[in-house]
Amino acid sequence: MPKRILQTTGLLAALLAMLWVGCADGDEVDFNHDIRPILNERCVVCHGGIKRQGDLSLLFRVDAMQPAESGKQAVVPGNPGTSELLRRVSHHDPDERMPQEGPPLNAEEISKFRRWIAQGAPWADHWAYVSPTEPERPAVSDPAWPRNGLDYFILARLDQENLAPSPRADCPTLVRRVSLDLIGLPPTPEQVASVCDDSSSARYETFVDSLLASPRYGERWAAMWLDLARYADSKGYEKDIPRTIWRFRDWVIDAFNQDMPFDQFTIEQLAGDLLPDPTEAQLIATAFHRNTMTNTEGGTDDEEFRVAAVIDRVNTTWEVWQGTSFACTQCHGHPYDPFRHEDYYASFAFFNNTADWDQDNERPTLPLFPEGNEAEGLALLDEIEAIEKRMIEIASTPEMEEARRAWEGQLDDPQVVGKVLGTRQNEVRRIAQTPEAERDDAQRAHIRYIYAEIVEDEQMDALRQERRAKQIALRDIKPILTPVMKEVPPTQRRTTHVFERGNFLLRTEAVEPGVPASMPPLPDDAPRNRLGLSQWLVSPDHPLTARVMVNRFWEQLFGIGIVETLEDFGTRGLPPSHPELLDWLALQFMHEHQWSVKALLKQIVTSATYQQASSVTPEVLERDPRNRLLARGPRFRLAAEQIRDQALAVSGLLSDEMFGPSVMPPQPPGLWQNPYSGARWQTSDGQDRYRRGLYTYWRRTVPYPSMVTFDSPSREFCVSRRVRTNTPLQALVTLNDPAFVEAAQALARRMLDETAIGDDPVPVEDWLTTGYKLALARDPSAETLFPLRTLYDEAAQHYASSPDDAAAMTGQSTNPELAALTVVANAILNLDGFVMKE
Amino acid sequence: MNLHEEANQAHLRHVTRRHFLRTCTTGLGAMALASLAGCAPTPDTAVRRAMQRDVTDPLALHPPHFAPKAKRVIFLHMAGAPSQLELFDYKPTLARLDGERCPDSLLEGKRFAFIRGVPKMLGPQATFRQHGQSGAWVSNHLPHLATMVDDVAFLKAMYTDEFNHAPAQLLVHTGSARLGRPSMGSWVTYGLGTENENLPAFVVLLSGGVAPDAGASVYGSGFLPTVYQGVQCRSKGDPVLFLSDPDGLSRDLRRRSIEAINRINAHQHQEVGDPEILTRIAQYEMAFRMQTSVPEAMDINDEPDYIHTMYGTAPGETSFANNCLLARRLVERGVRFVQLFHWGWDSHGAGASEALNAGFLDRCHETDRPVTALLKDLKQRGLLDETLVVWGGEFGRTPMLENRTGLDNPYVGRDHHSDVFTIWIAGGGVKAGITHGETDEIGYTGVSGRVHIHDLQATILHLLGFDHERLTYPFQGRAFRLTDVHGKVVREILA
Repeated sequence: MPKRILQTTGLLAALLAMLWVGCADGDEVDFNHDIRPILNERCVVCHGGIKRQGDLSLLFRVDAMQPAESGKQAVVPGNPGTSELLRRVSHHDPDERMPQEGPPLNAEEISKFRRWIAQGAPWADHWAYVSPTEPERPAVSDPAWPRNGLDYFILARLDQENLAPSPRADCPTLVRRVSLDLIGLPPTPEQVASVCDDSSSARYETFVDSLLASPRYGERWAAMWLDLARYADSKGYEKDIPRTIWRFRDWVIDAFNQDMPFDQFTIEQLAGDLLPDPTEAQLIATAFHRNTMTNTEGGTDDEEFRVAAVIDRVNTTWEVWQGTSFACTQCHGHPYDPFRHEDYYASFAFFNNTADWDQDNERPTLPLFPEGNEAEGLALLDEIEAIEKRMIEIASTPEMEEARRAWEGQLDDPQVVGKVLGTRQNEVRRIAQTPEAERDDAQRAHIRYIYAEIVEDEQMDALRQERRAKQIALRDIKPILTPVMKEVPPTQRRTTHVFERGNFLLRTEAVEPGVPASMPPLPDDAPRNRLGLSQWLVSPDHPLTARVMVNRFWEQLFGIGIVETLEDFGTRGLPPSHPELLDWLALQFMHEHQWSVKALLKQIVTSATYQQASSVTPEVLERDPRNRLLARGPRFRLAAEQIRDQALAVSGLLSDEMFGPSVMPPQPPGLWQNPYSGARWQTSDGQDRYRRGLYTYWRRTVPYPSMVTFDSPSREFCVSRRVRTNTPLQALVTLNDPAFVEAAQALARRMLDETAIGDDPVPVEDWLTTGYKLALARDPSAETLFPLRTLYDEAAQHYASSPDDAAAMTGQSTNPELAALTVVANAILNLDGFVMKE
Repeated sequence: MNLHEEANQAHLRHVTRRHFLRTCTTGLGAMALASLAGCAPTPDTAVRRAMQRDVTDPLALHPPHFAPKAKRVIFLHMAGAPSQLELFDYKPTLARLDGERCPDSLLEGKRFAFIRGVPKMLGPQATFRQHGQSGAWVSNHLPHLATMVDDVAFLKAMYTDEFNHAPAQLLVHTGSARLGRPSMGSWVTYGLGTENENLPAFVVLLSGGVAPDAGASVYGSGFLPTVYQGVQCRSKGDPVLFLSDPDGLSRDLRRRSIEAINRINAHQHQEVGDPEILTRIAQYEMAFRMQTSVPEAMDINDEPDYIHTMYGTAPGETSFANNCLLARRLVERGVRFVQLFHWGWDSHGAGASEALNAGFLDRCHETDRPVTALLKDLKQRGLLDETLVVWGGEFGRTPMLENRTGLDNPYVGRDHHSDVFTIWIAGGGVKAGITHGETDEIGYTGVSGRVHIHDLQATILHLLGFDHERLTYPFQGRAFRLTDVHGKVVREILA
């Protein structure tokens, strides 16, 4: 027992040291390190961005130095004696003492406050909001170990902890790891042989280059990006009907394959339509923010869900590029981070003037016409546009305006309002109830547009009929219509208001587009639109974007980010395990690699850190159970898409067809049952049954079952991190899902077909070895082979006497050997080593 | 021993077992350690609590905050929102106003889904009578339930923020009208773990031919690990997806193949030391057991005739009645949260299937007998004392007639109404035979005892032993909870 306590204490000490080096008790008090945590943990709940009790907020220095409601000043720099904060936290009377909730501050905490105030109460920005500076390369114990710059930071930290790095992983394991990491697929036995015959670094690097050049590379990294882009093939909400937006998915694959610099990748997705003479690809890129959901449920308020989409664009932009949980500020000031309520709506204003408004037809869209129909299609579009322009012209004549005003006054009559199209009545009534002088341009245009659609008038009727005919002609050409971002014309701009407590019906003061005051300013000459915002995000002195992105790629490779909370770099996120490494990588990414993702990935996978073996001793596991220090290589379960792709690849079933509409591989019947929706799962034929997981049709309310079981999100919202679980339902998928059984059948056939015929008439061990090598890229040990052999013998015996079972198991032949190999292949596809990256 | 002591003891047994495992394998429960750091700006207590979950056994039994009154929940969601005015909320004044123009004061500032302009009032399409000792009002459409009113607490002034199905259903189940939050069943299984690891801890049963409007998100795990999400058990095909072995693979060969997999994995663990492998071994064993235990639990053929008569069940069908009986079988076996959805209550009156004078009556008929049987059956087995049964829709319906087209229509219906509806709750810790909350003369809004969805959630969690403000999980920089930043326990209905 005493031994146990000692062990635990030692462990605790190690962890303390590990997570925060130098928790010094010296005189110098560091605001971020010593003060902010206490403020965040104990004070800001009542004196922060949501509640400002006693008119005191401790989020910004300026607020803390102002007299509060009591007239007293919480913090008087240099003068602990007159600082109300200090008086209250050390008060002997529990009624006076702060904080009111929980235990009083301890002596050390109070002493920190006293010393900090005496030192002038210097405030410091949270690390993530300060631009990174080039860290010095640290000294290390073994200068021969690092293979490139990043290794110095890892090794220096291991030195501090008295831990040694692990040896390099064995070659086949490393080849499989890097292949799964860079292209999401396992290596072929031939690839393994070609690198490992002579496992020099040069061979490894050549292999890395070949992976980066493979078209499979873009597919693998697109899968990651699509979680952030919340890409799906359906519109979400109740009916969750199909959406055609796969051209965006293809754009992402292409962008990764071409190694589009990340700054350009950012600008094109957020503001491709605002670039001068945008290309078609740049317009498709803007579909990034058309992946927001559209509510087609009957009776919904279109304006409410347009606003919901804009809110999602703001939240997603801040989460993806800034690692910031900006959503808090939708309703109130940020509880912990230096963002004000108005900051949210200044961001909102960047996105509030696009032409989409929760319409079932998802306009505006970019048409792609089938070959030969382009001219006709474009002409029809022009004609429709001209007709609509004419309709608005007519609706703007004084007589029509007069008639419209009269109509607005009759909206209480069901006969009248019943004609308002579809789901627009709530917005129309809101506008009608707003005096004309108080309507903004968008509202004026909107109600005129609605009126033009419903007014009974001969001329309008004729125009609408003409338009209908053209719309039918257009539909018959079957263009592919991809939703894209498009700004409204200058005459229809919406004014952005702060919404009280986030409620879109409670508009308060108007705001202009802008960025939070606590961040670097927008340059004076930057356009105040999405283009200006996107350029600002990737400007070289921006503190967050590059850090957030290198952290995302790091997490994909090592399973856990340098900042574990990929989605939150704020004060409530977790601190970086290697702050200097994060800064170094961010600077490398921007300057050395010029935002090249391939160069960044190559740098990481050729490091000594990445190439370590992933096995762990009990001692190291006890010291660093989650591998935060990287004294070993990464070992974690593959992502949902990779689990599927790998099974198809090793069984030889995988189709290498790229791009195009999403496909519907077999899934159990009866899953799609959304109300008021006729959408059906129509199982694909031929090669489309075996496409990579990222091409599988993604319906938000009913995602592909085996993917969800392996923790893929629904894609309703941006998700930075997939939680990795380990459940019995996952075992059931890889054991019994017909897709995995089919893979086992095909792998068994390969075991027979691809084993060289030797002298032994029944080369069972050779078959088993072939299968294991195809699946896991390495030779099986005797301890592995023995249970497989036992299983094979038991199965073969059964199938020799049960040809019907054999035929069912193989899916074709009654050959008992093939049936037994299918059982073994099924087992191989369920091994821990198969579903894990090692 | 009360339930809390029981839960604590089970937890201690678990901890002891884990401790044993840890000394054998060194280093399980990794996440628990990571939060011990003192100097770093560690996140709040929610993070610590979340991280204390044993990652290798996330469904292990866990004690709640205080002694619970109930151990499990059966939630009967009448999807589409049944009309309270035809079932429980008796309004003679509304009958007198039938056909009159709705006063402007009721329409001011309101948003409706389908009502256009100024509608007419619609009197109750039912007759009402008081029942039982408690004298609760129940309409002629629910003759069976009327016999059980003394076991039920009616909440007559429920209200919500949402007037469309998908967001309102999300609010009921996840505490938020937007997608992405964990559902109540996920929170409860996260908080309590499971009593039967051979069955999913949170089971969902659908009937009515249509899934809930908000899809699987109403039983999703949101940002909680997927191990806490609701598992849909189906009456046709595999009760749990991919539960059956492939054709041609006998049970014996499946057992042997799992043995081979686990033997190789155990060897792998010796080689590489990753404790995740031990978890995988345990999960494969559990999957194998589930292959037997789930079909056994889902097979109602072994129920005696009197039970089938009582519920109105027919083995092999997908029906609400079968699902009620399954709910009883599942809670009997220790399943923590059973969620039923029965679609078809969206009585707008635009067509027969959704009219108060047609489809609505069918729904009443389909559900009345099995719901009552479920209450009686739980009671006679002594399970009602520790099981909560909740019945309700996602919002209520207007006292006005909805007439979307303005044309003559043989069918009558009511529009969505977020201001008031009736929910009832029965079982462990609930005061039986009471009515809480009152509505105005025409049933348009609650005038006393109003209960918001978040209050109902806070109350359910309270009965399970949780302070709803402390059952939290860290996500996007803050501690999230089922009740968002709202919720007040409805003390008046606590026994």
